[in-house]
Amino acid sequence: MQRTGLFIERAGFLQRLNPLTKGTGAVLLIGMTFLLPAPLTGAILLPGVLLPLAFASLVASRFLDVLVKTLLPVLISLALVQGLFFPTADPTTIAIGPLLFRRAGLQFALDTGSRLLIVAGAPLLLFQTTHPGTLVQALIQSGMPRSIGYILLVALQLIPAISERAVGVAEAQRARGLETEGNVLRRVRGVLPLVSPLIVGALVEAEERAMAIEARAFNAPGPKTWLRDIPDPRAEQIVRIGMLAALGALIVWRVATLFS
Amino acid sequence: MTTSTTSQRSGLSSTALALIPIAIAINVALGQLVQSVLKLPIYLDSIGTVLVGVLLGPLAGAITGVLANVIWGLTLAPSALPFAAVAAVIGLIAGYARQYGAMQVWWKMALAGVITGVVAAAISAPIAAYVFGGVTGAGTDVLVAIFQNFGASVLGASFMQGAVSDPLDKTITYLIVWAIISALPKRLLARFGVHDK
Repeated sequence: MQRTGLFIERAGFLQRLNPLTKGTGAVLLIGMTFLLPAPLTGAILLPGVLLPLAFASLVASRFLDVLVKTLLPVLISLALVQGLFFPTADPTTIAIGPLLFRRAGLQFALDTGSRLLIVAGAPLLLFQTTHPGTLVQALIQSGMPRSIGYILLVALQLIPAISERAVGVAEAQRARGLETEGNVLRRVRGVLPLVSPLIVGALVEAEERAMAIEARAFNAPGPKTWLRDIPDPRAEQIVRIGMLAALGALIVWRVATLFS
Repeated sequence: MTTSTTSQRSGLSSTALALIPIAIAINVALGQLVQSVLKLPIYLDSIGTVLVGVLLGPLAGAITGVLANVIWGLTLAPSALPFAAVAAVIGLIAGYARQYGAMQVWWKMALAGVITGVVAAAISAPIAAYVFGGVTGAGTDVLVAIFQNFGASVLGASFMQGAVSDPLDKTITYLIVWAIISALPKRLLARFGVHDK
């Protein structure tokens, strides 16, 4: 299974951990960014927690690459929109080149941006160091419905094929004279001829798949066996409980400070 | 032939198990195609979700929406994850729209699209405002800037941006789904429990 999403096959630190431990860690980190003062968390958690983990897991360059590519447009947009148009009574402005930025707006952009780095970075690191199959298996074994796991894995495998089919349909329709360029109205008219072959094909394929699922007794009751074992040492279970307790304590502290 | 034997734990039939993953892949593939090939100012990334909702009901629709955003997060953009709740509601409304007979005529589908769009805008606004600070790095950020310049708060501007884009996008989505399903042979639709339309 090459190129299944973000996963990179390396033998690093996070790759040896149970997926549930990594998932709990990601939830704790994201929780912290919303419960603790904003610019602080991003400034500390990214260089202090996420980056060292990415280096220890041998994915640091790809981690930074994807993080920058997905977040840079958002961060630039954030600084421009909120720096220039933030609704505020504070008249302080900072001139950068020809643009006059509002101080409160830049502060807001900095707070949100630092938070965003963790909100996007923590799941990204989880997915880069965990094979989707392993992640889904761990989730099913800890109680997620098997059907949900099946849907997740099949969808992951189907996306490249369906994308390819979509491009194929677009090319075929163009060869038959469909215009995919020109003014907006002309392009809107192109939507239906592109979409309908995809949907009709999907419905026919679903019918066949449904028969295959039944033929293999997917919905049969009773215990199932697993091909792979995912190790879950005692130490990791304790760490997970500790992380959940920390998150709970943070929430209690935050609620208490709100009402004091 | 009793093809809709459901698994007791999750309530999903084998038809749902087969169709939902394909619908998710269509969401992602179409979302990309519409932006890269047609370059339209709409998303069309919930066609699969609406299709499943209309064919298989609210629960299947909601599951499709949530998992589509989770998958999107798993493969391409982790920032799609916070919007999974919005996708769930889109699927849920599509399911109820069919139960209220929206499939009978095109204008009921259009109405369902408008309602879905307004609700989607209302739920995504707080997520966009508190998680992303009102912007997502897309072309619609210009709208947020304009509304804020007219004195709206970050949350208010996020909602107004969605209130402009979402109903348009969802109405087109519903009408496309209606047009395709209306043209399908009855035998195929019967498999998905659509007898009366």
